[in-house]
Amino acid sequence: MRKDLRQRMKEDWIFCDGGFGTLLQAKGLKGGELPETWNLTHPDDIRDIYCRYLQAGSTIFNANTFGANRLKYPDNLEEIVNSGVSLALEARVSCGREDDAYVALDLGPTGKLLEPLGDLPFEEAVSIFKEVISIGVNAGVDLIFIETMSDSYEAKAAVLAAKETCDLPIFITTIFDEKGKLLTGGTVASTVTMLEGLRVDALGVNCGLGPAQMLPIIKELTSIATIPVIVNPNAGLPRNENGATVFDVGPEEFAAYMEEIADLGVHILGGCCGTTPEHIQALIQHVKPHNIVNLDNSYVCRISSYCEALTIGESPLIIGERINPTGKKIFKQALRDQNYEYILSEGLRQEESGAHILDVNVGLPEIDEPSMMEEVVTRLQSITSLPLQIDTTDAEALERGLRYYNGKALINSVNGKQESMDTVFPLVQKYGGAVVALALDEDGIPETSDGRIAIAKKIYQEAAKYGIPAEDIIVDGLAMTISSDTNSANVTLDTIRRIRDELHGHSILGVSNISFGLPHREIINSFFYTMAMQNGLSLAIINPGNEPMMRAYYSFLALTNQDPQCGSYINRYADVPADQISSGNSGKSTATTGAQLSLTDSIIKGMQESAVCAVTEELKTQDPLVLINDVMIPALDVVGKGFEKGTMFLPQLLMSAEAAKAAFEVIKQSMSGQKQESKGKVILATVKGDIHDIGKNIVKVLLDNYGFDVIDLGKDVPPEVIVDTAIEQNVEVVGLSALMTTTVVSMEETIALLKVKKPGTKTVVGGAVMTQEYADSIGADCYAKDAMATVKYANSILCPDSV
Amino acid sequence: MSNAFPYEISEHEIYRYLGYRGQIPDQVVLERIRVCLRQLQEQVHPQAIWKYYDIQWIDTASFNVEGSVIHSRQLSKNINGCKEICLFAATLGPEPDRLIQKAEISAISDAVLFQAISAAMIESYCNAMNQRIREEMSAQGKYLRPRFSPGYGDFALDYQRMIGQFLQMSKTIGITLTDSLLMMPSKSVTAVIGISEENNQCTMEGCEVCNRSDSCLYQRIK
Repeated sequence: MRKDLRQRMKEDWIFCDGGFGTLLQAKGLKGGELPETWNLTHPDDIRDIYCRYLQAGSTIFNANTFGANRLKYPDNLEEIVNSGVSLALEARVSCGREDDAYVALDLGPTGKLLEPLGDLPFEEAVSIFKEVISIGVNAGVDLIFIETMSDSYEAKAAVLAAKETCDLPIFITTIFDEKGKLLTGGTVASTVTMLEGLRVDALGVNCGLGPAQMLPIIKELTSIATIPVIVNPNAGLPRNENGATVFDVGPEEFAAYMEEIADLGVHILGGCCGTTPEHIQALIQHVKPHNIVNLDNSYVCRISSYCEALTIGESPLIIGERINPTGKKIFKQALRDQNYEYILSEGLRQEESGAHILDVNVGLPEIDEPSMMEEVVTRLQSITSLPLQIDTTDAEALERGLRYYNGKALINSVNGKQESMDTVFPLVQKYGGAVVALALDEDGIPETSDGRIAIAKKIYQEAAKYGIPAEDIIVDGLAMTISSDTNSANVTLDTIRRIRDELHGHSILGVSNISFGLPHREIINSFFYTMAMQNGLSLAIINPGNEPMMRAYYSFLALTNQDPQCGSYINRYADVPADQISSGNSGKSTATTGAQLSLTDSIIKGMQESAVCAVTEELKTQDPLVLINDVMIPALDVVGKGFEKGTMFLPQLLMSAEAAKAAFEVIKQSMSGQKQESKGKVILATVKGDIHDIGKNIVKVLLDNYGFDVIDLGKDVPPEVIVDTAIEQNVEVVGLSALMTTTVVSMEETIALLKVKKPGTKTVVGGAVMTQEYADSIGADCYAKDAMATVKYANSILCPDSV
Repeated sequence: MSNAFPYEISEHEIYRYLGYRGQIPDQVVLERIRVCLRQLQEQVHPQAIWKYYDIQWIDTASFNVEGSVIHSRQLSKNINGCKEICLFAATLGPEPDRLIQKAEISAISDAVLFQAISAAMIESYCNAMNQRIREEMSAQGKYLRPRFSPGYGDFALDYQRMIGQFLQMSKTIGITLTDSLLMMPSKSVTAVIGISEENNQCTMEGCEVCNRSDSCLYQRIK
């Protein structure tokens, strides 16, 4: 009887197999041929390779299913996987290894890049993997071996697919380069953090490098991992010899390295490209006499983004609180309008101000919060490298946020109520995450630190039932305003201190709550923040754009020997003029001096800050609408005309547009409430199949500035969506962009569909391959050779008087 | 400052991609170019892969590589007389796309600069790798024809799939194809390079091979 693999891997060496493709090529597999087809066409050869690895002593061997998925085998996937697995089962019998060898379903990457960088939706990736896994499981595999992953997001999709399909052990290895990075940017720490959060059974590295180059990566891996580590290197770095790929590290040399690797605490070992049964045999001979070294790293709380891991509990960290509609009129409107640009730019601003984590709260009663959470998390993680905190009370929104998050998220929040723990902890168990735990329960908020500590303990205990370690619980000591209870700060600070000293746990506060109802709140807030850090606060939810808070933070680090050579403090404040410090203004960046430019010149020269200063000044004496129509639009026209004549160029055109946009924002704020007139609606979309949308985005900025109401449908937009939107919102002008000849087809379809369903709609097209003739041939009303041409056309249709 | 991209980048190529048609940008733009270029140089991690294959000619417009057939009149003309080809793929990785996406939110003018600079960077990286291939071949007394990519002339984009499979490029250097055959990361290049035993420098390269050069804004100015 085969031992349970999960049990066996705790106490014994586990040896994987080596290269498969290398052996197939030796048997005659051609360059353009799909290796898995050999399961059907050359079963004897496949069986032979399995047997050679079994005879060499492999404990785990992979079925020949690495590239098997419906993208590559749309017609005969089931047959391919079934034959690959059943040949493996046969080989195990014929080699007499039924009692101690395990057949793995080998799961490689899909070969597609996931959205938003690529065109494969996350859920589609999950479904592709699930299909293969369920065939493999039915065929009788013993474990799921996900390997050669170079994108953490795809790795997550594969792991979720496995978890949602079966209970078999999940092993996963990723490819790192010599700098210790995944192709899509992940580090060893970020990868381990995400995968341990997803509760795989073993994780590690394969392919890409030989054992020698892998050593530093393995050292890092074994210094942080708390689950078993797998190492399957190539036989050295590939070298090209007369057109053939060759690997130089022979079995003995390979085995010697693997011995060294085993001693670092790795006991699941095998090979990848270029390694042969001889390599595996030598590896086993060298390693087996050693005792296995189990890793004894203590569990540390980490969260991660696609490319970085943050350790919680070392130095205090800042969570940016601005992505949250509470009390913010403009943000609420942005949520209703699905104005992602505004929401995302709040994120980028906080990153620039020095936030380490971004809180994401998109809850508003009248919107679909789960969809909004999915959308914002997905978009935000493609433009920021900061880890996110999913902040919601809606269980479905929480699940969506966690599912589509590329990493291990922070969760805000659970509390001591049974119902809350019953909802949140299963999701943490499934997706991983560190959780903010509010020290309150069915009886409300305890008035003493004793009461809050008791709830914290209760939450730790309940979490443990789900296998969630206490380290992943971050207790919120609950800051409440001192304006209604002047003792409340004392209780909060005492709670924070006791979480550190008695529970050895992590803590968090929504700092600014301390000062509700008081004047000049930032004075109280920044002092309270300092006191909280002194009492051991791990995480603070604050506005990183608030300078007094940032001063408290940087000063605290410098004063507590957490800022080597006071480097961060000096870097931030050395160049700030004294008058800015005393006025309490923001730190760096606004230190521009020199003569003031007029609004017109600021826009023409593309100087944003100067445009903002000038417009603020002008607004004191001028009517906003006069400023727009008599100053800003004419200035934009100067640049636009220069661009058309070829005396000004695209970067200048856009810098001017940005300067004007910044000035518009100021004007908008000054006339809040007053309805701004729009010149009419224009739909913009990059057509289906096309995912490059920079051209469309340029056009959008310009149309915005000229007062059009732009409905931006994004990229890869199906014809139906464009047409339906045009009908629903009664839009007269539709702008379409396509980059490639292959996607102009979608453009043509969209135009044809518009003509049927909404005749009379004007279409304007642009993009790299577009020409006047091409535009004519697909029935477009206008060919725009550049962004200004679209503005002109929209003007001619929607406000003919202005032309 | 770390520089992960030690290849020389032609400033004039950057200006050309920005539509300057032989002119030099003003100081403000030049300064932004410098800042964006630095960011790209620090973050971009270029990778390339190439392999050599024997080919068998079927007729003047098609040939066979390890059992797969390539049909293209213009490519065939470009590698006319060659018995061997090099399949080539190179990429700057996902960083330029990330920087462009981010700048589309924060400053669209930077997005345009990242776009142009990274286009010049992939070009310069391809040229550097091309030079290595030239050296490898010249050691064997062989010569290279100009790079010829799917999408040039009548060399159909569909061959991206074939090149992808031969080079295992999604696994080895992370170039993937969308359903519409776009490469992602977007700053990626695939090509066929003819390997010739004779040094007969061949017909066309760059803008000259393109049938749209008469109307193109970005055409190289000689």
